[in-house]
Amino acid sequence: MQSNSASLEKAPPAESHGSLRRFIGRPEFGPLVLLVLEIAIFTAINPNVMSLQNISNTLAFTVELGLIALAMTLLMTSGEFDLSVGSLFGFAPVLMWTLSNSGATSLEVGFVIALVVAALIGLANGLLVTRMRIPSFLVTLGMLLVVRGTALFITDGFPQRTWSAEGVWLAEALVGDFYIGSFRVYMSLFWFIFAAIVLGYVLTKTKAGNWILASGGNPGAALARGVNVGRTKIYLFMLSAVLAAFAGIISSIRTSAANPNSGTGYELEVIAMVVIGGTALAGGRGTIIGTVLGIFILRFMRNGIVMIGVPGLAYNIFIGAIILGMMALHSWLDRRHQAGV
Amino acid sequence: MAEELIRMEHIHKSYGRIQALTDVNLTVRQGEIVGLLGDNGAGKSTLIKVLSGAVPITSGDIYIKGKKAAITSTTDAIAHGIETIYQDSALVPQLSIARNLFLGREPIKGPNFLGRLDEAMMNQVARDLLKRVGISKNIPPTTNIGSLSGGERQAVAIARAMYFDSDLIILDEPTNNLGVAETQGVLRFVRGARDSGHSCIFIAHNIHHVFQVVDRIVVMRRGTVVADDIDPKTSTVESVERVITGEDH
Repeated sequence: MQSNSASLEKAPPAESHGSLRRFIGRPEFGPLVLLVLEIAIFTAINPNVMSLQNISNTLAFTVELGLIALAMTLLMTSGEFDLSVGSLFGFAPVLMWTLSNSGATSLEVGFVIALVVAALIGLANGLLVTRMRIPSFLVTLGMLLVVRGTALFITDGFPQRTWSAEGVWLAEALVGDFYIGSFRVYMSLFWFIFAAIVLGYVLTKTKAGNWILASGGNPGAALARGVNVGRTKIYLFMLSAVLAAFAGIISSIRTSAANPNSGTGYELEVIAMVVIGGTALAGGRGTIIGTVLGIFILRFMRNGIVMIGVPGLAYNIFIGAIILGMMALHSWLDRRHQAGV
Repeated sequence: MAEELIRMEHIHKSYGRIQALTDVNLTVRQGEIVGLLGDNGAGKSTLIKVLSGAVPITSGDIYIKGKKAAITSTTDAIAHGIETIYQDSALVPQLSIARNLFLGREPIKGPNFLGRLDEAMMNQVARDLLKRVGISKNIPPTTNIGSLSGGERQAVAIARAMYFDSDLIILDEPTNNLGVAETQGVLRFVRGARDSGHSCIFIAHNIHHVFQVVDRIVVMRRGTVVADDIDPKTSTVESVERVITGEDH
């Protein structure tokens, strides 16, 4: 076949970029700069922000919330999101401890049942969104209320006792801890790292990742190519629910409290982490590295503003400003990218 | 005369009380480019959706290489060697050229359960295909579709159909919103596809584009085929326009 028209021969945008330009153009660049700035400013005002003890304390909860954010990244990349994760964070440990404390099952069996129930809730979310074509905002908002209501109903609103977890191998595997000097490391950190590596691999290197990106980027085109968009999204809703339940169980063992109200409002914080990290709210673009940065940005912000003496109640002002700033940055980078700059 | 590739017989399609297609018959032969013309609402898009598996037929039969075929989904159509290139090219803007080419049929490297994409192979094939369809500039196969021009996107979509050796490539308004030079590029891609033995159904509002590239013109009006053997070499644009509008009676 002959060579084509001159207009098909304008300079390729990607190859003319230097490596620095490519790095700046990546969605993770903005969050990385923000995190570095945040750490620098907080540390300059109060050096204790970077003390081993403070980092250890901050990490303990950060990775629990982070587990939810990792799954949410994949779901949002596929063009959906899940508002029921916060209620599952509270419901799953309540279910596990209720079963275990009542003697109905061992803790281990209760753990498995809680995860299976979470998966079924995710399946219900996925089916309602993909088969009934109800927007995920409405489906998961409804599920949020159903799940939270169930947790409150079966506990009469009281926390479940969890002290029987001490010495149980499952509890040790999930949240056992050890010290490196004065740095306390929880097992949950390794679960988080493991999940980040696996999900990062899935999103960037695999066929499943290609389907997730395509489902969010152009679902019509994906369908036309034989991609099972519906099934892909259902699996992601299930993953999101299971990791939210897993994080809630970890948190309940670490804090020795299974409160039916725990996790309230986490869904919005998690979505904020994912969006700040560079994942597109509308789908089609997602980054696990960006989400990890987004997780640390928000958690260090919450910790840092307290450490430097700003009232904790002002936290939302900073978070809102960061979200707006990052959205503007991502939008600008997108326009540059589209223009081939 | 070349062998018959696709034969649609007595195709009816209704959406509730609305009759979109009435007793449509259409044949496409191997290596033939058929121009499908008609005014808005003539039924072209519905006919293409039926053939590409996007909507089910109400009644009628489709034969592929003489054998009756059931096309109930886009996957069925692809499996039968029918590739549809829509106005928006059915590409994912956020994915690279290579990933778009193989979307839905990704090659796996290593153990199957790991599902790892064979990106080196995908990139190499994409690089070769871009040259084959005539994009002479050095576009890396890792370039996102979103940063390509309209003509380049159409070229990628055509390249995909050629790579997977589709028997029939349906082009739905491929020259819409393209400049003059890009349109000529796309028309060359279409001729190239025919030269490689692929059949095409070419739909365009611009009759001049159709005349430049097709072997035969089929005209639809009000959900039915009113002319199916117009030779562009012996007809004029004006005479075809009269058939489209019904002024030929």
